[in-house]
Amino acid sequence: MAKSNEFDVIIIGGGITGAGTARDCAMRGLKVLLIERHDIATGASGRNHGLLHSGARYAVTDQESATECIEENMILRRIASHCVDETDGFFITLPEDDLDYQAKFVESCRSAGIRADIIDPEEARRLEPSVNPDIIGAVRVPDGSVDPFRLCAANMLDAKLHGAKVLVHTEVTEILKEGDRVLGVRTLDHVTGEKSEWYAPVTINAGGIWGHGIAEMAGVQVGMFPAKGALLIFAHRVNNIVINRCRKPANADILVPGDTVCIIGTTSTRVPYEECDNMKVTPEEVDLLLTEGAKLAPALATTRILRAYAGVRPLVSADNDPTGRNISRGIVCLDHEERDGLKGFITITGGKLMTYRLMAEKATDVACRKLGVDRHCATALTPLPGSELGGFEETIKKIWTMPATTYQKATAFRTGSSAKDIEKGVGLVCECEEVSSGEVDYAIRNLEVHSLTDLRRRTRVGMGTCQGELCACRAAGMLAASHGCAERARKDMREFMNERWKGSRPIAWGDTLRECEFTNWIYNHVLGL
Amino acid sequence: MKFQTIIVGGGLAGLTAGLALQKKGISCAIISSGENALHFSSGTFSGDCPEETVRLFEEAGIVLKGDPAKDSWRLTPSGSMQKVRLAFEDVTLYPSEKINATNVLIANPEGFIDFPTAFIADGISQQGIPCKVKSFSLPCLKLLRESPSEMRSVGIAKKLDGCIEEVAECIKGLLDGEDLVILPQVFGLASPEPVRALRAAIPAEINFIGTMPPSVPGIRVQLQLKKAFERAGGTFLMGDTAIMAEIADGTVRFIRTKNLDSHILSADNYILASGTFFSKGLTSSMQKISEPLFGLDVECPEERTEWYSEDFFAPQPYMAAGVKTDKDLHPLRDGQPISNLYAAGSILAGKKNAGMALTSTFKVVKKIAL
Amino acid sequence: MTLQEITGSAHNFEECMKCTVCTAYCPVVPVNPRYPGPKQAGPDGERLRLKNPEFFDEALKYCLNCKRCEVVCPSGVNVADIIQEARIRYSQSKPKLRDKILASTDTMGSLARPFAPVVNGVLSLGVTKAMMDGVLAVDKHRTFPKYSSESFEGWFKRKAKAAQDAFKEKVAYFHGCYVNYNYPQLGKDFVKVMNALGIGVELLDKEKCCGVAMISNGMSKAAAKNAAINSGAISKVVEKGLRVLTTSSTCTFTMRDEYPELLHIDNAAWKNSLLLATRFIYEAVDSGRKKLIFKDSYKARIAYHTPCHLEKLGWGVFSTRLLKMIPGVEFTLLDSACCGIAGTYGFKKENYEASQAIGKALFEDIASVAPDVVACDCETCKWQIEMSTGYKVMNPVSILAEALDTELTAEANRS
Repeated sequence: MAKSNEFDVIIIGGGITGAGTARDCAMRGLKVLLIERHDIATGASGRNHGLLHSGARYAVTDQESATECIEENMILRRIASHCVDETDGFFITLPEDDLDYQAKFVESCRSAGIRADIIDPEEARRLEPSVNPDIIGAVRVPDGSVDPFRLCAANMLDAKLHGAKVLVHTEVTEILKEGDRVLGVRTLDHVTGEKSEWYAPVTINAGGIWGHGIAEMAGVQVGMFPAKGALLIFAHRVNNIVINRCRKPANADILVPGDTVCIIGTTSTRVPYEECDNMKVTPEEVDLLLTEGAKLAPALATTRILRAYAGVRPLVSADNDPTGRNISRGIVCLDHEERDGLKGFITITGGKLMTYRLMAEKATDVACRKLGVDRHCATALTPLPGSELGGFEETIKKIWTMPATTYQKATAFRTGSSAKDIEKGVGLVCECEEVSSGEVDYAIRNLEVHSLTDLRRRTRVGMGTCQGELCACRAAGMLAASHGCAERARKDMREFMNERWKGSRPIAWGDTLRECEFTNWIYNHVLGL
Repeated sequence: MKFQTIIVGGGLAGLTAGLALQKKGISCAIISSGENALHFSSGTFSGDCPEETVRLFEEAGIVLKGDPAKDSWRLTPSGSMQKVRLAFEDVTLYPSEKINATNVLIANPEGFIDFPTAFIADGISQQGIPCKVKSFSLPCLKLLRESPSEMRSVGIAKKLDGCIEEVAECIKGLLDGEDLVILPQVFGLASPEPVRALRAAIPAEINFIGTMPPSVPGIRVQLQLKKAFERAGGTFLMGDTAIMAEIADGTVRFIRTKNLDSHILSADNYILASGTFFSKGLTSSMQKISEPLFGLDVECPEERTEWYSEDFFAPQPYMAAGVKTDKDLHPLRDGQPISNLYAAGSILAGKKNAGMALTSTFKVVKKIAL
Repeated sequence: MTLQEITGSAHNFEECMKCTVCTAYCPVVPVNPRYPGPKQAGPDGERLRLKNPEFFDEALKYCLNCKRCEVVCPSGVNVADIIQEARIRYSQSKPKLRDKILASTDTMGSLARPFAPVVNGVLSLGVTKAMMDGVLAVDKHRTFPKYSSESFEGWFKRKAKAAQDAFKEKVAYFHGCYVNYNYPQLGKDFVKVMNALGIGVELLDKEKCCGVAMISNGMSKAAAKNAAINSGAISKVVEKGLRVLTTSSTCTFTMRDEYPELLHIDNAAWKNSLLLATRFIYEAVDSGRKKLIFKDSYKARIAYHTPCHLEKLGWGVFSTRLLKMIPGVEFTLLDSACCGIAGTYGFKKENYEASQAIGKALFEDIASVAPDVVACDCETCKWQIEMSTGYKVMNPVSILAEALDTELTAEANRS
C-alpha cells in the first residue's frame, strides 16, 4: 500500500484550472493531491467578469478560441447548471461605432458555430430596458454568466468525492527533483506552520500567472505575460442580459449580470510581475470604467458601486503587443519532458475561465499517458455536485413541495441540489445575500473553509451591499466556535474587514461611503476592535 | 410656523439641545430625518463630557453612570477593554483596565449570533479570570426562531421584557458560584425597568454588553429623550427632512421641509446638528464632500484619494470632515459666519465622539439661552 | 449629468444601509413570524427579485403599509413603497371574495345604505357574524361600521348646498366613503366649521373611493381606475383655483403620495392643493387670515393619536397645534404607535390577533392617560380604538365644531 504522502499526481494551484484538473484526474481513478497556497479561486479565477462567453467576442480575431468557447459554453450549461445563469448576451452598436463591423462579426460567429441573431434595436430595448437607448444595432448571442467561485468549489468538491486530497493555505516552497525527474514537492502549511514533503510521478503546474515562478522552481522557463484588468461591481443587477460592444475588443466594453450584482470591465495594462500579488485600482481606471460603462447602460452613471478590483490575465507571451489584448487566449499545455527534458512535470496555462475543463482534460491526458493509464475523460458528461437536478427553478421545485422560503431559494441558487441537505440553522448570517447559518455550517464542514474570506467565496457572505457590516462578526463567531480559537477568528475578522475596505476605497463616495462610515462605527466603536 | 429655535437633526446633539432649551422656556422644533446614531450606540459615551449632561438626562429619566471628567473602562463585545466616560445604566464601568470579578458567566439566548460570546470569553480569560459561556432558551423566543431574520436584539428584547421573572429564574439556574454575569443588551427596550428587575433578582453583578445593531438601550434613551422633549412642549417633526434654507444678509430666514412643502418654518436661531455621512449631514460625490442644506464651508482633504487610510481600523480622514465655524460655533459660508446659525455635534470638523458632541451642544445652548 | 453625482434616485433601495431600524419599529414583525420584516421584504428582497422574479415572496402581503418603516428610516428609503410595488408587479395570488368585499367600500356603501337599518341589524346579528367569520373569514369580534340611512351627499344636497352660494371664498370637500356612508356627522361638522370661517363648501362632480383598501388587497388596477376618476375631478376644481380638503388622513395620504408612487397617476398639478382640513385651518389662523373663537364652556381632556399615514405625511403637527389653540383643552400627545387596524387588515379573521397585539401599546397608553376623548384624523383608527378601549374617538374637525362658538367665529371672519 502506498504511503500517505505518495500520490499519482500532484497539482499545484487551486484556481479553476487546478480544481478542474484535480476533478478530471480523480474521475479517471488517479490518486490526486491538490495544493493551493491561499484559497481556491483567489487568483485570476476569482477576479474576472464571470462571463460565460459564447465565444462571440473572439470570433473576428481568433476563430480557434471562439470555437472552444462555444463548445465549452454548451457543456457548462449541462454540467454546471447551478453555477450558470443562461442570460444570453447582446453585442450593441452605438452611433459612434461602425455598423459595418456587425456583418463581419455575425459571419465570424456563425463560422465558429456560434448562434448570432441580428435583432431590431427596438426589440433589444424591450428585452433589456437598461441598454443605451441610442443603439443603432444589436446582435443576440448565447452569452451568459458563470459564478467562478461556485464553479471552482464544485470542481474541488467533486475531486474530493472521487478521493482527491486538497490542501489549501499550503504553499509549495520547493520542487523535489532527482536528476532530470521531478519527484514531488515540499510545502509549508500557512495555518499550522508545518513543513511537509509529497511525492508523485507526475506534478502539474496549474499556477496561472504564478506558474511562472513554479516553473522557475522546477528549473524551467515559461514566459508569462501579466496584464492587469480592473473591474467595477455595481450594487444590483442593472441588466439581465450581458451587454457587449460590437467592435474590436477594447476597454470596459462588457457588462455582465452575476448573481445579485453586475460587473463592468475591463481595462488592460501591462504590469510588472512583482505587482501580481497586490493589485490596486487607480482613480483613472475607475473613471474610465464608469465613462465607458455608462455608454453600454446609462443607468450605471447613477447606480451605487460596491467595489473595484483587478485581476491578472495569465497570458503566455507570444508576441510584442504592449497591451496584451491581441494575444490568443489559446490553451498552452507543456510537457516539460518533451520541451525541456524534465520528466514528471507538466505546465497547463493560457486559456481562460471558459475553457478550464478543456485545459484540465488536456493536462490530464498528458498525465495519464505518462502514468500509462488508459481512461477517457468524462467531465463533459457528468454534472458537478449541485447541478444534478438542473437549473434554479427546476431545482427548487424538485427539492421542496411547499413554496420555498427566500433563504431556501437563495441557498438553492448558490448550491443547487446540495440545498436539500442544508438546514436553516439559527437564522440568517448574511442578510443582503440571504445566507443562513445552516449554509455557513455546510460550507465550513464540506468546502475547506479556514477564514472569513474563504467563506465569502463559498457562500457570498460579505459580498452584498453591506460588505460585511453585519455578517462578518456573526460569521467570525461561528468560525471561532468551529476552529475553537477566538484569537484567530478575531484576527481573521480584522483581515476580512480590511480586505473588504480595499475594494471599497477606490469607489468610496455617496452611499458607499455612508455604509463604510456605518461599518466603521460598528467595528471600531460598538465592538471595540 | 414659527419657533424660537429650529434644530436640524434629532440625534444625541439635536435632542440634547432641544431638551435643554425647551427646559429654559425656549420653544423648539426638531426636524429629524428618520432615526439616528443613538440606535447604534455602544451604551457608553467617550471623550470629555460636560457636567450638565448627567443632570439633564436624569430629568428625562435616564441614569448615566461614571464621571464625566474622568475615564473609566468598559468591556467590549470583542473582549477588549475600552476607555469611556459615561455609560447607560445597563453597562458596568470599571475603574481600571481589568474587570471586577473572580468568576464569570456569559449567558446568551440560544441561537443569538449578534453577540460574539467567544470573543468576550477570550478577553476575560486573557485577564486571567475563569469564564464560562452558557446559552439559555425560553418558550417566549420560539416565535422569533420561526423567522430566519428575527433573532435580533430588538426582537428578543420585545419578548424578554415581558417575562423578566422567567429570565431571572433561568439565569439563576445557570449560576454556579459566579460573581459576574454577562448578558447581551437585549433587555429594557421601552423602559429601564427590566434591566433593574433582573439586577435585583440575580445574586451576582450583571454587565449588559452591546450587540450588533440596533442597540436596545440606545433606542430606549432616544425614546426617553424625545418624550421628555415633547412633554416639555417641544415639537418633534419625525421623518421629515430639511431640504432648503433661505439665507439673506448673513442670517437664516426660514427652512423648507420635504413634508411641509410650501409651509415654511422660521425661528430666531437655528442649530445644525445633522450628523455626518450616515445621516446625510454631509454628502460626498466622486469629486467632493459638501454640506447639503446650507452649503457651508467644509473642512476635508481636497483629493478623494486623501480621504482614506489604507487600514480600515486606523483613523479615517473622511470621518474627521465637517463644517468650519468661528469660535462661537457659527458655521462659515464662503468664509463668512452665519449669525443666527450654530453647528453642534458630529457635523463639526475634527475627531468625533459623544463628549465632543455634548460639549458643543451645551456651548450652543448657552449662547442661545443668554 | 456628472457621473455618480447622485446615486439612488432611480434605485432608492440602494440607499439602505442595512441598519435594521425599520425592522425594530415594524409593528407586524413581533406578531407574525411569517412576515420577513421591512428590510428583508423591501430593499434586501428587491435585489434578489431583480436577479430572479422567483424570489418574490407572497408573505409580503402581511405588510400593513403603515409606512412606519419609511418614517424611521435614516436613509430615506421608501421601504413600504418597494414592498407594495413588488406585490403589484410580482404577486400571482388573486384577491379573495372577502378581500374584494372589504376593499369595495363605495360599492358596498351605496348598496347597503338605502337599507341601512336592515343591514346594520343583520351585520350585528350573532348568526351573521358567525357566518361571516366562517365563510368570508371576517373576524367575528369586529363590528362593521354602521351604515347611515342618509348619505352625506344626500344630506348636503338637501340641506346645505344652497346656503354655500352665500360665501365668496370656497373650498372643495373630498368626503371619502366613511363620511358618505357611515358617518355623515363628520361631514356636517366640517361644513359647519368652514362656514363659520366664512368659507363655502362644494363637493367634487364625481368622487370615488380613494382606493387605499384596493391597493392593500392586491387590486391595484381597480384602484388606478378610481384614482383616475378622482384625479380628473380634483383637477377640475383646482383649475378653478379651489383647494380640496379632506377629513381623513388616509385618503389624503393615498391621493397625494400613493397615486404617483404606486398607481403611476401623475398628480403634480393638484398635489399641493389637496390638504387635510386641519392643516388648512391651522394655516389660515396662523397667518392671521381667519379667526377662531371658542366657547368658554368647552372643557375637555384630549389625547391625540397620530395615525400611521399622518405620521408619514408629517402633518400631525397641524392637528395637534390646532387642538392646543382651544383654551379649554388639556392636551396629551400619545406615543406614536400603530393601532393595528390598518384599514381592512384587522377585519380579516387571520389577522385579528395580530391586529390587537399591534395595538396593545397604544391601548395601554390611552388607558393610562384616561382622557375624555381621543382625537384622531383617521376613521379606521377610530373603529379600532373605540372597539378595543371603549374610549370615544373624535376627528379634530368634530372637536372644533363642538368647541367653536360658531356665531362669534362667523362674525369675526365676516369683517
